Amino acid sequence: MRRLLAVVTIASLLAAGAAAAAGHATLTVYAAASLTDVFPKIDSTVRYSFAGSNTLAAQIQQGAPADVFASANTTLPAQLFAKGLVTKPVVFTRNTLVVIVPKSNPADIHSVYDLRKPGLKLVIAGPAVPVGSYTLQILKNMALTSDVLQNVVSRETDVREVLAKVALGEADAGFVYSTDARTVPGQVTVIKVPAWAQPKVQYAVAVVSSSPNRTAAQAYVNHLLKKAAQAKLIAAGFLPRVKR
Amino acid sequence: MSRLLFVAGLFAATFATMLFLVLPIVAIFTHVSPATLVDQLGNPVVTDALLVSLQTTAEAQILVLLVGTPAAYLLASRRFPGRAALITLVELPLVLPPAVAGIGLLAAFGRVGLLHTSLPFTQAAVTVAVAFVAGPFYVRTAIASFETVDSDLVAAARTLGAGPARTFFRVVLPLARGGLAAGEALAFARGLGEFGATIMFAGSLQKVTQTLPLAIYAQFDVKFDVVLAISALLVLISASLLVTVKLATAWTPSLRSSALHYAPSTST
Repeated sequence: MRRLLAVVTIASLLAAGAAAAAGHATLTVYAAASLTDVFPKIDSTVRYSFAGSNTLAAQIQQGAPADVFASANTTLPAQLFAKGLVTKPVVFTRNTLVVIVPKSNPADIHSVYDLRKPGLKLVIAGPAVPVGSYTLQILKNMALTSDVLQNVVSRETDVREVLAKVALGEADAGFVYSTDARTVPGQVTVIKVPAWAQPKVQYAVAVVSSSPNRTAAQAYVNHLLKKAAQAKLIAAGFLPRVKR
Repeated sequence: MSRLLFVAGLFAATFATMLFLVLPIVAIFTHVSPATLVDQLGNPVVTDALLVSLQTTAEAQILVLLVGTPAAYLLASRRFPGRAALITLVELPLVLPPAVAGIGLLAAFGRVGLLHTSLPFTQAAVTVAVAFVAGPFYVRTAIASFETVDSDLVAAARTLGAGPARTFFRVVLPLARGGLAAGEALAFARGLGEFGATIMFAGSLQKVTQTLPLAIYAQFDVKFDVVLAISALLVLISASLLVTVKLATAWTPSLRSSALHYAPSTST
């Protein structure tokens, strides 16, 4: 019995030690779902958690063990900064929105205005998700809000869910970032949203205040702003962080 | 000494188990005051989700009862080759990750799926997802409770001239009612909690496909009060369903116990 207890104690101490060591060595980056493909190309040595920026912000408020927070907008990091939960956010890239339809285009959509067709199945992200709020801004800018919103059949939790449902062919159309559309070539057709209707889509990044690895986290943020990382973002279809 | 240590260990483990299992549920109620709970129950997000949840779960249960009961009776009362395989197949959705269930439903009933239906994103899709994930809970329990019905009683009914249908409705069904009710309550509880298959197959839209668990997920980063209120509501509903399961299991008709006690045994 005593020997068993000793074995259990030692095993649990070892497990705890291993977990602590792993936690110390590897940085954890919470990043917007739209960064899923590009971030590992910029730095593959850290751990990533990709989700809707709003979900990640809520998790950080609940004390999630993130070191870096990269959001698809500036509002969420600014809110966390105001609460002292993250350092001052910096914009590291920009993006645009597009409409995507399945390659077969079952609802025969060729412009944003076609989204008014009664009965079509449009999928957008929830209003709290950055891409969902950008979508609502576009519809407002184009005076399409009520006509198009009545075709919404689902409000997804992040942009990649919207992408998946259109790429699968289950939905007739969806609003995503132009960078998301590029990750499923051959499965969707892109319909441009006019430049005048585009919202200001800026991605901001910050170090989480409670992070035990703040130096390494700050280094990750600095790296994002440097030429090499910026080139990879632009290669993936993102826009330069400062408008030229 | 070692005996004392063993007993102390048992007590410590029990205490840790109870604490671990009960704490998260208690925490929900310490976070939300009864006033907030009542207040949030009037929130349209909550009432809409409650309505969608109750409606789709009830529809799914009717489907499961009507189709699942005869299927369970056949599987319980007949012996044929492949029976064990069939029962295993019925149980498969029980152990399947809900996300896999969602993908499977899309692959089968999606617009580009095998059957090319237009189910996805409709309220009927929620019902289908719930029936798929929760149905096996009922069918499995129903098979088990049909199997415990004394076959001598069934044989007696048949020799007394009752047809198979009459025997089923007048003898088998009343004798199995406790187990059937318990299985139904279990399936109802599982159906109310359905999340993964629903969000993948039916999407999430308030008043149409957004059930209570989906509303929790959608509101998680918007309003934590709402999330706590819905969670508290679901704890109360689930707890009452669990009590129903316990009571139903004990709901054994007197006929069966008297038959077991006093009927002459024919097995020897």
